[in-house]
This record gives sequence, C-alpha cells and structure tokens, in this order.
Amino acid sequence: MKSHRWILMFFLVFMGSLLILPCAFADEKEIKIGVLYPLSGAAAAIGRDLQRAAELTADIINNGAPGVDIPMAQWKGIPNLGGAKIKLIFADHRGEPDRGADLAKRLILDDKVVGLMGAYHSSVTKTVSAVAERYGIPMINDSSTSPALTQRGFKWFWRATPHDEMFNKDLFELLKGLTEGKVKGVKAVPKKELQNLAYACENTEFGSSVAKSIENYAKEYGFNIVTKLLYSANAPDLTSEAKALVAAKPDAMLFTSYLSDALLMIRTLKGMKAQTKFFWGQDAGFEMADFAKTLGTDIDGVLTRTVFIAKVTKVKKVAGQINAIYKKKYGDDLTGATARSVVGVQTWAYALNQAKSTDPKAIQKACNELNIPAQELVMPWAGVKFDETGQNILGRGLIGQYQKKSDGKIDLEIVYPFELATANFIYPFPGWK
Amino acid sequence: MLIIDALLQGILMGLLFALVALGLTIIFGVMDIVNFAHGEFLMLGMYTVYWTSLFLNIDPLLALPASAIMGILLGLASYYCFIRYLLRGPAIAQLFGTFGLMLFLQYFAMFLFKTDYRMVEKGLLVGKSLSVGPFIFDWTKIAAGLLSLISFIVVFYFINMTKTGKALQATALNKEAASYMGIKTDRMNALAWAIGGGTVGVAGGLLVNFYYAYPMVGILFVMIAFACVALGGFGSIKGVFFAGLLIGILEMVFPVFGQLVGSDFLGPHFKVTIIYLAYFIIVVVRPQGLFGWRQ
Amino acid sequence: MEAIKDALNFSDFSRAERISLIIFSLFLLIFPLLGAGSFTKTVMIQFLLFSLFGMGWNTIGGYGGQVELGKAQYVGIGAYTVALMMVWWKIPFWFSMPVGVLIALGYSFIIGYPLFRLKGHYFAIATICTSLVLKDIFDNWTLVGAAKGIELPIHEHPDFVYMQFKSDTYYYYFIMVLFYIGLFYMNWFRKSKLGYQLRMIKDDEDAAESLGIDIRWCKIKAYSIASAFVAVGGGFMAVYNLYIDPTSVMELSLSIKIALMAMLGGAASLWGPIIGAAFLVPLDRFLGSWLGGYKGLIGVDFMIYAALIMVVSAYQPRGIWGIIEQLRKRGS
Repeated sequence: MKSHRWILMFFLVFMGSLLILPCAFADEKEIKIGVLYPLSGAAAAIGRDLQRAAELTADIINNGAPGVDIPMAQWKGIPNLGGAKIKLIFADHRGEPDRGADLAKRLILDDKVVGLMGAYHSSVTKTVSAVAERYGIPMINDSSTSPALTQRGFKWFWRATPHDEMFNKDLFELLKGLTEGKVKGVKAVPKKELQNLAYACENTEFGSSVAKSIENYAKEYGFNIVTKLLYSANAPDLTSEAKALVAAKPDAMLFTSYLSDALLMIRTLKGMKAQTKFFWGQDAGFEMADFAKTLGTDIDGVLTRTVFIAKVTKVKKVAGQINAIYKKKYGDDLTGATARSVVGVQTWAYALNQAKSTDPKAIQKACNELNIPAQELVMPWAGVKFDETGQNILGRGLIGQYQKKSDGKIDLEIVYPFELATANFIYPFPGWK
Repeated sequence: MLIIDALLQGILMGLLFALVALGLTIIFGVMDIVNFAHGEFLMLGMYTVYWTSLFLNIDPLLALPASAIMGILLGLASYYCFIRYLLRGPAIAQLFGTFGLMLFLQYFAMFLFKTDYRMVEKGLLVGKSLSVGPFIFDWTKIAAGLLSLISFIVVFYFINMTKTGKALQATALNKEAASYMGIKTDRMNALAWAIGGGTVGVAGGLLVNFYYAYPMVGILFVMIAFACVALGGFGSIKGVFFAGLLIGILEMVFPVFGQLVGSDFLGPHFKVTIIYLAYFIIVVVRPQGLFGWRQ
Repeated sequence: MEAIKDALNFSDFSRAERISLIIFSLFLLIFPLLGAGSFTKTVMIQFLLFSLFGMGWNTIGGYGGQVELGKAQYVGIGAYTVALMMVWWKIPFWFSMPVGVLIALGYSFIIGYPLFRLKGHYFAIATICTSLVLKDIFDNWTLVGAAKGIELPIHEHPDFVYMQFKSDTYYYYFIMVLFYIGLFYMNWFRKSKLGYQLRMIKDDEDAAESLGIDIRWCKIKAYSIASAFVAVGGGFMAVYNLYIDPTSVMELSLSIKIALMAMLGGAASLWGPIIGAAFLVPLDRFLGSWLGGYKGLIGVDFMIYAALIMVVSAYQPRGIWGIIEQLRKRGS
C-alpha cells in the first residue's frame, strides 16, 4: 500500500483543490453587478480601458463627484435603496464565448450578483445573455453592436448602444446629405459623382453582417455597389484586396475592419496611391486611439462611425465634466468604447434606483420603463429608452472625420449628425501624394 | 495584366515566406524537431527592430543587425536552456514542448509590450512606392524581398561551402556517423538553432516595415512556414525556397483568379485557406514533399 | 457480452489504481451534493468534456502514436450537426447527436484515406491543414451561419428531448455518463485486437507490416474512432453552450488543447487523458478567473500555464502519468 501512496495522493490533491471554494461575503449595503470584459487575451487593451471607465462611473455614483451637473453625481449611493453602493465584480472572458458563459454562471450563482453587464464581443454577449435569460437575471449590454442580439426576443436583455444597422443608416444619411448640400462646408454634390460604392469588410460576424446591411441600404438609397470584398483580417498581407478596390475606381470606399487590418489596409492603399472621394470606416479599428497614433497624417479626411468623440465635450457639458475626471485619472480622453461603458453603468444605476429593489422582476420592469433624459448622458443621444426588444431607441451614432490641423496634428471632428458638426467637411477625400 | 502583377507581388512575399521557413527547415533537418515557437521568434524580431529604430531614432532597415543578434541569442538560449532536455523524449513530447515555448513567449511579449499593435512610422522606405508602367510596388516589400534573397543566399553558401556548414549537413544526414567523424553534434544542434533564430529574426525585422507587430502575430506566419517546410520536403533548403515562392504566388494569384471568374465565394477570404488546401493536395500526391529526400 | 465484460474488467491494474478509480468515481457521483460553487461545477464539466476528447485522441495519438492535431474539425462537425438539425428541423438531441457522429465517421474515412499516406511531421501538419480548411469554409458558408455562428433556441427546463437544462447539475451527470461510456470503451479498446495492432504499429511499422497487419486501415479505423468520440463531445458543447461559431468549436487551439491534455497526462495509458484534463482544465480556468482581473498582470496566467507544459515535456516526456509511475518505482 505504502508504495502506491502517490496515486492516491494525486487524486486526493486534485479533489481537495476543487473543494476550496471562493467564499462570498454578503454585504447588505452593496449591490453587486457582474461585469464581463476581455481583460486578458487578444483584446486585453480595450478590455482594460472599459474596466477603468466602468470603475470610474461606479466611483462617481458611490462617492459623488462635485462639479458634474447630473443628479447621479450627488447621489452617493443609490438613493431609493438607502444609499446602497454599487460594487462591480469584474470577470475576464478573454473573448471566448464558452468561458464567458461559465463566468456568467459563477457571477450569478456564486457571487450572487443582481445583474450583468458586458461583454464587448458580440459572440460572448450571445452566450452570456443566454445564461442570464435562463436564470432570469437582468443584463444590460453596453458595447456589443451586432444587430442580431436584440432580435432574439429575450426578456432579460437590454442594449444601451445603437447597433450596426443604425450606424449604416447614418452613413447613407451622410451620403444623401452630401448630395443635398446639407453637410457643413460642402456644396451639394451631384449624385452621379457619388453613385458607385465599394466595400471591403472583414469576414467574421461583424464585417459580414455590416456588408449585408450596406447592400440593403445602398438599394434603399439608390446607390450602386461596384465591388464587394469580404476578406480575412488574419492575412499575411492585403495587397490583392487593395488592388481590387483601386481597380474598381469607386467614388466611395467603405470599410469594416478591426485595428490590425485597418492599419494594414490604409498602408497598402497609400502605397498604391489609391484615389477616391469618400473614405469611411465602420468603427472598431478606425476609431481606436492607436489608429490615429500609428498612421499620423496619413488618415487626413478618413471618416469613422463612432458614438463618442472627444469633441463632444465641446458641445455637451456633462461629457466635458466626466471626460475631465477620466482624463485626470488615466491620462486619456474617453472614446466610443469607454464612453459606452460609462453609460452602461449609469443605466444600471438608474434602473436600480427606479426599481427601488434588487429583485430581478422589479429591475426588469424598471428597465422596460426606463427613460434617462438626454442632458444626463455623456453621449450625444436623445436619451436611453428601451423598446420591447430591449434596444435603446434614443441612441444614435456619430460620424467623425480625421482632419489635419494647421499645426500638423490630426484631430477627429464631428461631421454627422449635421447639427452637431464641429468642423467643415473635407470633400473630396484628399488621398495620398 | 492582373495576373502578372499578382505574380510579381507574390514573388516578393514568397521570398520573405521562404526566409521565415528557412530556419524551421534547418532546425528540422538537423534534429527532427518541428518548432512551434518559430513564429514567436519572428514576432520578437519584429519588436526588436521596432524598439531599436524608435529609441536610437534610426531607419528600421539599419536596425536589422539587432534583430539578427536577438534571434541568434534567443535561438541559443532556447536550445541550451530547454530544447536540449526535450530531445530525449518522443516526437510528440517535443512538439508540445515547443508549443509550450510558443505560448510562453507569446504571453511574455504580451506582458512586456501589452496588446497594442505597433507599426514602424518613420523610415527611409516606409510608405513610399515604385511605379513601373502599370505596376506599383511598395519599396518596403521590394527591400524585404531582395534582402530575404540575399540572406537566403548567404545561409545557403554557408551551409554548402564552408566546413562548418558541411559538418552541419553531415549531422543532418546521419547523426551517429557524424559524431564518429569527430563532429560535436551538440554544437551542431546549437548552431542550427542559432541560424534558425538569426534568419527568422531578420525576416521579422523586414516584415515590421510593412506589417504590424503584435504578441500573437507569429501563429499565422508559422502556419504558412509549416506549409512551406512540409511542401518543400522537411529539411530541404532548396525545397523551402521554391515552396515559399509557390505559396507567395498562390496567395496573391488566387484572389485575382476569383475576381476574374467573378465568384463571390472564391474571394480573397480564402487566400490563406488555399495554401493549406494546396499543401494537403500536393503532399497526398507526393508524400515526401517537393524536394524531400527521405521519409 | 464478452466485450462488455472486458470493458468492465480492470483487473490488470494495480490495487492502488483500482482503489483510486473507485474513490474517484464516488467523488464524481456525489460531487454536486458537496455544495461546490457553480463555477467549480462548470470547471468539472469542462474537465469531463476534455477527458472525453482526450480519450478519443488517445486511440490514434496515444496508442497509434500518430501526431494528430486536427481533432477540432470533428468537434465542429458534431456540434454543428446538433445545432443545425435543431434549428432547421427541431430534431431532438438524441437523434441529431448520433447523426453527427455518423457524419464525423464518414468524413473521417474520406479525409483519413489520403491522410494516412503521410507519415511523421508531414502527417501532423496535414491534420492541422485539413482542420483549418474546414474552419475557413464554415467561416464563410452563409447557409450554416458563417462566422455569425448558430444560436440554439432556449427551451423551458428541464427538457430531456433537446437536452436543455437550467441547472448545470443535469449537464454534469449527463457528461459524466458519457465520460464513463468513454472510459469503459477505452478499457475495452486497449485490450482489443485493434489496440494491440496499433501499439505494434507504433513500436515498429515494418515489423507490424511483416506480420500482415494492414497499417493504413488500422490507422484509419483508430482515427475514425477518435473522431466519433470528439463528435459526441461536440454535440454536448452545442446544447451546453447554446451558441456555437467556427472560432469556438473548430479553432486550431482547440485541436492542440485536446492533444496537449492527453499527451501531458500520459499518452497511451488509460488514465493519461483524465489526469491531463484534471490538471490543465482547473489550472486554466482558475488561474484565468483569479489572475485575469488583476491589473498589470496581462498574460501572467498563461505564462505559468506554458511554463508547466514546458517543464513536464522536458522533464518527463511520458507526461504526468510517467512522473507518477517513476515516483512509484522509487517508492517501492
């Protein structure tokens, strides 16, 4: 027997290790919300930013922030719940859907969270929201833009951000605006000069669903698509894709790219001295800070859809105040992704306050009836109000344009919606010399 | 016209692929190991050039020696600290050992450099292109292709013409016989790793001129390099050169072909897939690869 | 009848191993009653799932000694069959899973026939290539949802027809039953004619051939068995996660993980894949869960994970089971 100890030991150690459980201390004065973000793995950088923004917002709610002109900043806890503090419990899903689902179960059953928030990747949001739906736990999604998410008839899922289809509509509104002379600083462009579009979208869910919706809108708005490209973002180079785009000589080039392929695509197009009149990117890569940092003045005139641009702070007081706190603490401006994280936590706080209880049913009711007025948001939205599918109908996108300033620096200016425009639109796209 | 253009572009990429795969095939030839971590050597080569050119404020092409030295040191370090112990086990344990090394280097790079994508911003050739008639080439790619070719020739010369190189070849052909002849096989193994690391370091340095550096960037290139090495025949230097060219051309010509046919399904999203498929088909027809001399 | 008796017969193992198996089985049986947290339960489910995958891989990779790195494509086939049949035709799990296994078997014969012309590293790379080609096709094939993946409709629980439950305990017992079927099958397999033939092929192909063994056919059979195993697991993944996409069920990293766990535990032994999964799955999940949230530690959990793989493969190529046996010998 003695000689076989090792095998027994092994099994005992294994079993023992599984039984050491993380203990959860319940505190009545705390409301726990589980937040799933990609804190490690390929999307770690963005995940960490989202985490910071969420923590900051929770801090504003719990401890107040003098100088921020919204009621929330004076709450110091959730007023209707006896000043209870919000506690965010972060979990790292690494961008893997199955890991996200497992962690959601951990948050719901072990940590006993009141609700969930996250998960950035649309694919992870799918599995996480399915878990939440099963357990009847509310989930507020802050930054996943796949249109399919709110088309599933879930009762426990709400999305604060606009989705990709709404963004694509914005694009075509802008194109239409150009032909009608609504755009600041540009005379009406004859429609036949902008008739031919070409798109290149990466071929995962994000890009392929955008591609489909671009096609639909093109038909609706009477534009012509001359080149359709779906490419793999994970390619050793994009020369052949860029060649195909250039060869078609389109009036407008539309892209859906993550950061890596956006960088590569622009470098490649620049190498070919590609010419077009209108150059638009659907968020993700085009919006990230690294995009402008890496490409510098090469992106003069490039358009990107987003939901938040640092320039919003000039138009909106609240945005400026919260952005100032964020910048003081972390040194960066809020971006489209991080600002949505702020709104996500804020929506949670308002929903809890309105529910007056942490009972899931009460929160469900509160979410369905929720109406956050526009002036209390950092976003240039008309507010937060969910329709019966759980989609925020008052959200809207922005289109920004990178513009080279006289000091040689690149700045992102708002060009759409027209009434928020902060600079003259540069048309046509200057291109590369 | 499109095809000729794609062909020329493909040759430039193919030369670089061949250089990436060269180290892999030498290491394989000498000691029968498939090195999963090869792509991470490439990635670290890219970072080396990126940081050197940034901190010393020199052209990325002038920073190439730094990445070569880094590659050689990394190769030697991995051999002496790790691979030597791995050699005792069966092929599958070796495979997973190098896989572990790959993961380790990947996440070590992530720990050090975070997950930002880095691209060389300034440089003599960066962003410039050469127009010849209807064709247009990036100077960075031309430089990468030509310097890859030169590095390839240097290594080829070294292995076939010098005494040490011949000893290396002898080790590859028959380890025991080589050790009877007085060749120190342990040293030869280390030499193979040094050459392997050095060449792939240079390849990384060339690549970073037009591609982004990122902790996970290696896996894509190592998969292509695997296909190159296997297609050319494991251990065959001549083979890897032609396989690299073939794969580079295939990757460029296929999307053009799809475009000419007018099929949406055969679009550029399959251009890497076609490499794997081509490998599978060619190897099934010719199980020892194009230039393989043994099983 | 004989086969069942063989499958349940563990008498050629040492007493300690048999006692361990009994204790381990009892532990598995009462585990959900021990009051462990739900995250621990999901880890246990992952452990059983990957043991099942590993056992499958062990037929061709362990006993057959072939470096097989393309098992994810069969996980995908199993998962997609279950998901698609449910979404398109509302076909119950109990029918669609066997169909998935049959498709995996058929596909594995088609792929296996040319594949086993290859040997050594050519074979290893080719298995990776076939798996990646299939993944890329699924990634772009609109009919099967392309990269968007497939979501299964949520049913009221508990649903034994479509195998959908709210509580993980049901899933736990379900995968445990599959695990034991797999274990008994493997116990039979290692003593079967094919098992012996494979080990002979692994030791010396030429000798095996001279004894009249049809090497290629043996390998194809083992490969198909392995494929069937992982296709079962794939079907389970579909109903367990309720969402599948090519990246989560067909990725190269999944193939490697399957082979890695079996190899690290100890290839060509009955316990190897189980030990490997018992070691790596909790390590991966708990490390990620604990370290993942800390600032400034990006990647550290994976570095620890990778370092362990490196140490085991350099120190004892026969895996953890090899280390245990070594210690045992030293002890006696």
